[in-house]
Amino acid sequence: MLMTNLPPKLQEIVDDFASMTREEKLETLIAYAESFPPLPDWLTEARDKMEAVPECMTPVRLFAEKQPDSGIMFHFDIPPQSPTVRGLAAILANGLNGLQAEEILTVPSDFFLPMKLDEAITHQRINGFMGVLAHMKHAALESMNGK
Amino acid sequence: MSYVHPEYLVDTEWLAAHLNDADVRIIESDEDPLLYPIGHIPGAVQVDWFSTLQHPLRRDFLTKEKFEEVASNLGITKDTTVVFYGDKSNWFACYALWLFQYYGHRNVKILNGGRAKWEQEKRELVKDVPSYEKTNYKAKDADKSIRAFRDEVLKQSSSKKPLVDVRSPKEYSGELISMPNYPQEGATRGGHIPGAVSIPWAQAVNEADSTFKTPEELRALYEGKGIKSDEEVIAYCRIGERSSLTWFVLKYLLGYPNVKNYDGSWTEWGNLVDAPIEK
Repeated sequence: MLMTNLPPKLQEIVDDFASMTREEKLETLIAYAESFPPLPDWLTEARDKMEAVPECMTPVRLFAEKQPDSGIMFHFDIPPQSPTVRGLAAILANGLNGLQAEEILTVPSDFFLPMKLDEAITHQRINGFMGVLAHMKHAALESMNGK
Repeated sequence: MSYVHPEYLVDTEWLAAHLNDADVRIIESDEDPLLYPIGHIPGAVQVDWFSTLQHPLRRDFLTKEKFEEVASNLGITKDTTVVFYGDKSNWFACYALWLFQYYGHRNVKILNGGRAKWEQEKRELVKDVPSYEKTNYKAKDADKSIRAFRDEVLKQSSSKKPLVDVRSPKEYSGELISMPNYPQEGATRGGHIPGAVSIPWAQAVNEADSTFKTPEELRALYEGKGIKSDEEVIAYCRIGERSSLTWFVLKYLLGYPNVKNYDGSWTEWGNLVDAPIEK
């Protein structure tokens, strides 16, 4: 499948993964998981404002922060016991943070297929990826509608 | 009252004192396969329930020959004490233990509390992946007495014998069937196998440190729902991993003589043409 029009940073990550061996994919995912940023203090105190992602077996919460230029910054709350989900969320945050809601909404839900992640992790996990992306889009849409 | 077979459990203190025993092999089996590379118990090796323990094509476990290869590569002999631990209160550790038993490895144990308790006690975790001298492991023929297939489950249901559904209450009631974004694991129908009682797996463990509940608590939990030791019991969940924990509890902690895990579970039953369903 030919993927066009992905946001440039996300495209770069997808291309990188596409050329990696299984071991490199795992190592890169681990590096993303280990670089997973802690929740900012102002959100730690307001966890209940965050949206839960029920499709994930891991408790995932996310919050979309609208910036002055109306770009969106995503914050995730995912327990350290779930490094795979942390790694996947970090990939999405790296690829999409700072973009406008309209740009986020154009990301196809199967954008990750060329990454061939199924060589490294189970389908079930990859599907969690789709769940997180769907909720990021939902949050982007809400922010576009001024919520 | 104590567990009926306490020899199937070790605690963190015991394991910490036996990390270097040549006849002990520690195996980490997690839901999240990245946990092991990020840090594991010193000397532990990893099996992944999906990439190591499943058949590459069919919906089944690895074959006996493949199991022998896996066990040989982990340096296991028939006399090795294999201690399993993992995340999620030992879900996948119990699954791996069940599979080792299926192929006849008798000397198996679960680390009570699993990864969570080891971490809580701030015990050492390392990144070094050890390697052990390869052995020539010979597995036994599959032990079907611990694994239930669909026809047996149907018979169990129609003859009103005990079935335990260990999924969450919403999966049991049929409210949750087609979880969005979970196409590969979906079932086309929701509900439960007729006659199955709902005892979610997590009720068997303490939330605080993932250890198993006391023998008294466990007995009250299962007997209270009519699941007694005098009849054959079949446990199931969605794909057979959560129910292997319940299988372990019934078989070894409570000593029920005849317990099977139905690994086809709801992803098979909820798709099976003509299978009876209750809601």
